[in-house]
Amino acid sequence: MVALARKTLIYEWRRFLPAMLAVGFAGLLQLLQIALVLGIFGATSLYITGSSADVWVGYPGTQNVGSGRSIDADVESRILLDPAVTQIEPYIWVDGDWRGPHETGGVSVFVSGIDPAADGLMFSRVLPPALRARLAEPDAIVVDRSALDQLGVGLGQIATINGHQVHVVGVASGLRALGGVNVLCSLDTARRLDSDVDDIGPTYLVARLRDPRQADAVAQRLRGDKAFGPYTAWSARDFARRSELYWLFDTGAGAGVLFLAGIVFLVGAVITSQTLIAAVNGSVREYATLNALGVGVAALRRVVLEQAFWVGALGLLGAGVFGIVMLLLAHSQDVPVVLNAPAALACILLVMGLAAVSGLAAMRSLRRVDPATLLR
Amino acid sequence: MHDPATAPAADQIALRAIGVSKAFVSGNLRTQVLHNLTLDIDAGELTLIAGPSGCGKSTLLSILSGLQKVDSGRVQALGSELGQLDLRALERFRLEHTGFVFQGFNLFPALSAFEQVELPLNHMGLSRDEARHRARLSLEEVGLAHRMRLRPAELSGGEKQRVAIARALAKEPQLLFADEPTSALDAVNGQMIIDILHRIASVHGTTVLCVSHDPRLVMHADRVLAMEDGRILSDRRPAASAIDNHGIPS
Repeated sequence: MVALARKTLIYEWRRFLPAMLAVGFAGLLQLLQIALVLGIFGATSLYITGSSADVWVGYPGTQNVGSGRSIDADVESRILLDPAVTQIEPYIWVDGDWRGPHETGGVSVFVSGIDPAADGLMFSRVLPPALRARLAEPDAIVVDRSALDQLGVGLGQIATINGHQVHVVGVASGLRALGGVNVLCSLDTARRLDSDVDDIGPTYLVARLRDPRQADAVAQRLRGDKAFGPYTAWSARDFARRSELYWLFDTGAGAGVLFLAGIVFLVGAVITSQTLIAAVNGSVREYATLNALGVGVAALRRVVLEQAFWVGALGLLGAGVFGIVMLLLAHSQDVPVVLNAPAALACILLVMGLAAVSGLAAMRSLRRVDPATLLR
Repeated sequence: MHDPATAPAADQIALRAIGVSKAFVSGNLRTQVLHNLTLDIDAGELTLIAGPSGCGKSTLLSILSGLQKVDSGRVQALGSELGQLDLRALERFRLEHTGFVFQGFNLFPALSAFEQVELPLNHMGLSRDEARHRARLSLEEVGLAHRMRLRPAELSGGEKQRVAIARALAKEPQLLFADEPTSALDAVNGQMIIDILHRIASVHGTTVLCVSHDPRLVMHADRVLAMEDGRILSDRRPAASAIDNHGIPS
């Protein structure tokens, strides 16, 4: 079979270049957008993904980690009764108002009171053991390196949260928060910083299981017991997703992402289809001659679709290479970008969908292929 | 290639138009292009339709080849009623039985001469080897054996038209339609095309129907139909000894 579609694409590459660029840039834009959103909104579930707890217990109806309410401390003993649970610890979330040594105005901070023990579950994946141990000192805090300027504070300096003095004993990385600054301290320090008299217990209880794969089943089992006041349980995975989706959709960011994806798709499809249509129009006499010789319109349509496919594939390749370079660059500059397999797949689908839609649009202009016009 | 022994005899009728009329409407203006035209084209001959531009000769060609529908009348090609075939069936008919050569060469810029000829054969259900074999034979026949790896941009006008003829010829059609095949060519190349068309009719027994106002073609045609204003004015056989009366207009 003579590879008409591919040979034409190679020979007349200049004609198809705008389509490939349009597809490529649409793919690149989409890729970077998704990576940025995942990177930024991944910060909202850092508390969960940065910790090694398998099950989270908190106030019923909690929509994201930052909006928990305190639960009864006695729930801990109930959770420990479950044979699947090997370790449990409280986690206290306090919304704080920060005053640094330098004037910064009000900065809202998210205080995370965690167990500073060496085998503590909270932030075990992001907090180095040495820093964790230093949190045991009264009023000691750890903040993210990138937040120092925002807080107007340096290592070893004193500041106040909710009117209580704290001192910065260390800086870590990977503790970025969204909409505020994360401050890590011990459970005791957090209790002192909490000015809300209604808070009678921890905000969450986090547990490690003998078999992490049982998280969903255990969480299910722990729900519904009202003996110690209202509480519920989620698997860590569930709660992380819940937090991310809350931010994505409740803040309108998700709608923004979808809207931009739609615009990118539309613009890409318009440029690509116009280019493909121009290519079809440029070859309309040749196509008409083939049709006169008896080559069916269906076969000609396949040629156009195949061209669209190759335009999509080459555009995708370009976007992939360029995208990886951009992501590496972003990483090196501490820009939060994350790309996972479903997101990459979504990009591929979007780009190939764009190419397919453009191909279908270009196919319509094959209606102008009428061999009788060659005889006039 | 057709074996001349099995080619249809010259007295068989390959194409028949019966009372064919065709008009084009443009806005309020209706132009009658063909007037109740009846015509037989004999198999295995080179028939030339000559006449001034606008006389309806190209329209007649497109109707006889099944590229256009008639307003009234009937067209039979190789015994098939073209008016009764739908679009698919017409494509099938053209694929199996017809070749076309147009005034413009209409070659794909990206393909070599060999690929131009091979491409339609791919759609005829031939094996790859058979398609390539036919493409090679066909290009050899039009004298382009040494140029078949070149793209259109590297070929002269005459060579391009020979590729176009080879593309039609490789299908081994019973009917070959040519529309002004020499008008874009100089004298030498024009003559070469005429010789090839004549040879196709005489050697392969292909029915060649050619539309042209090129006077050189008249000398080589088995039969010349002169057209004007949608009617056939004369029907003669320049070099023939036996003149039959087929195709006298009504």
